[in-house]
Amino acid sequence: MNVDEKMNVGLYGLTGCNGDQLTVIHTEDRLLDFFQSVHIRSFSLAKSDNQETELDIALVEGSVSNQEQAVHVKDIRSRSKMLVAIGNCACFGGIQAMELGSKGWDQRFKHVYGDGFLKLRTPIESKPIDVFVPVDFSLPGCPIDAHQFFYCFSHFIRGNTPALPDYSVCAECRWRENDCLLLKGILCVGPLTASGCGAACPSHSLPCLGCWGPVNEANVASEFDLLREKGFSDDEIKRRFRMHAGSGMMKPLKKILGVL
Amino acid sequence: MREIVVEPLSRVEGEGGITIQIEGKRIKDVRFDILEGTRLIETLVVGKTPEEDVSIACRICAICTLSHRYAALRGLEKALDIRVGPKVRWMRRLMHLGECLESHSLHVFILALPDFFGFPSAVAMAETHGEVVKKALELKKFANRIMEVTSGRMIHGENPTVGGFGRFPSREVLLEIKNQAHEMVAFGVEGADLVAGLDIPSFFEAATVFMCCEPGQGEYGLAGDQIHISSGDVVDAEQYTQLTNEWFVAHSAAKHCLYKGKPFSVGALARINNLGDRLKGRAGRLYKKYWNPHWPKNPLYNNLAQAVEIVWALEQIPLVVDNILKTDTDPKIVRPKRTEGEGVGAVEAPRGTLYHHYKIRDGLVAEANFVIPTGQNLADCERYMRRAVEGLIKQDADDGTILRQCEMIARAYDPCISCSTHLVKIKHEEA
Repeated sequence: MNVDEKMNVGLYGLTGCNGDQLTVIHTEDRLLDFFQSVHIRSFSLAKSDNQETELDIALVEGSVSNQEQAVHVKDIRSRSKMLVAIGNCACFGGIQAMELGSKGWDQRFKHVYGDGFLKLRTPIESKPIDVFVPVDFSLPGCPIDAHQFFYCFSHFIRGNTPALPDYSVCAECRWRENDCLLLKGILCVGPLTASGCGAACPSHSLPCLGCWGPVNEANVASEFDLLREKGFSDDEIKRRFRMHAGSGMMKPLKKILGVL
Repeated sequence: MREIVVEPLSRVEGEGGITIQIEGKRIKDVRFDILEGTRLIETLVVGKTPEEDVSIACRICAICTLSHRYAALRGLEKALDIRVGPKVRWMRRLMHLGECLESHSLHVFILALPDFFGFPSAVAMAETHGEVVKKALELKKFANRIMEVTSGRMIHGENPTVGGFGRFPSREVLLEIKNQAHEMVAFGVEGADLVAGLDIPSFFEAATVFMCCEPGQGEYGLAGDQIHISSGDVVDAEQYTQLTNEWFVAHSAAKHCLYKGKPFSVGALARINNLGDRLKGRAGRLYKKYWNPHWPKNPLYNNLAQAVEIVWALEQIPLVVDNILKTDTDPKIVRPKRTEGEGVGAVEAPRGTLYHHYKIRDGLVAEANFVIPTGQNLADCERYMRRAVEGLIKQDADDGTILRQCEMIARAYDPCISCSTHLVKIKHEEA
């Protein structure tokens, strides 16, 4: 490929654990190829000499949790042809958005930071980036899966749109011939959760916690009823459904419970 | 007034910056700004089950995910009076060694080394130091494999849970890890020799206090219920608030820590300075060869301390694997004996001592407090940067030189900024 034809790419981290950018760095065998297949203009976690220029693709990890990040993500959007949300924090707000829509952020902030103020940043309750800017593609996961990332990325740099699986963790779980944990009376969120992890937790005899966020058209009401029948309280079910799902579980739960 | 600002600081995890203000020949301010967004994780774990807590708390940080998980497990299991057997304890050691190895090889060779050779990144450095970068990536890959095998995933694996593990790796996989560790030791030693050959400036040196977990039994290690202080004191981890007195500064979303009113340091350099004479084998030989009286005064030696710990970890892994394999049957997850209690878990994250403190009521987390290593190092890091700026002003150094020196000091601490927010409980403000 001609050097001039290489796309300009930036990787950015807002609020989160850096696990999605780190997943890219963790692909030791492919890391050098990744750097050579495009112009990595900005990737602060991995390099200095970053240039904040016009981009073909911006990959953004993390949620927006202060005014300055809201401005930053708008700036990234304004100079990028395509903006991709990578990881659960960017897609749904992540664990820090598990109480989104419930009141109490102010008190919780005060509990942690007291009356002290942060003079360099203006904090807000954490939200996914699509609240602030249009997102062209969302790649969920906590953290993202490296294979899925490179599958998507190789589509992006050829100008194609990748298709992510639209089935839940249950499908992957069956392919791995695991025993169903729900049948054993364990609170598993697999039926509601987007696949891609290879049913990592159920394959270790541990319940799915929903860390990839809700799958498209998840039947939340049906699983809620099933778990109620199995004797779980509404509080327990809600808590588990919301833990990793951020903004993704607000509407369906509000429909079932009336309030969040 | 001259103001030198770098924001964001690159090749560190999370969003931070450095601000240096100089008036004439006088320093007005030298700050390590913590700009990372607030997540309030200590409030989010309240009302959750212990199992849910470990799934949330580990996500404070992707690099230290298993250290957070391990500290949480130790604190929660104390609170609930859960006692796990030897196979679980050795497996936890293995996962923790994997993380230490992964984090150190990333930091030393990929994030810090480019500074010393004058490159913006390890990828750029690969042009002239291809072999080192290649081998460092192999080492990192191996460490990731350990984390994957033990925790179920490279990052945020849920396999290590309260009371044990969901599943244990097979004998074949463990033996493969043991063999690979043996093979990697040679590169570990080469890497340490390479780092030992770097030019370390000494003009900003000053003594400090070092703290780390006391592993007990005269061993070198990464966890303990007591804290070893370089003054010679050994204190119960339960008294962590007295060791780390946290205070709030407005330029940081992370609290700063002081011990007896003074800054202190944690991390690989603290561990080697406090416990290095316990090292055996190739790591012991490296310690004897390279440790010198500059180490307790100069944070830039943290890179070499990490390189020595890489060799230590590679030599430990085969011993730990043998111990895991001593127990044939895989123990079941131990259930809690009670639904109320309190416990402090302390472990050594790659970059220093990490505390998780829990109060449990009715089987749910009622209160949580996390004190993380980067917060403990911030005050000392700023002190060394200030000394460096003082020295450089006298030499009429230009802004670029001042900034590069401060960046190298900050990066040497291996700051983990994603970790360093969310941990704060403030009573008052001291600017």
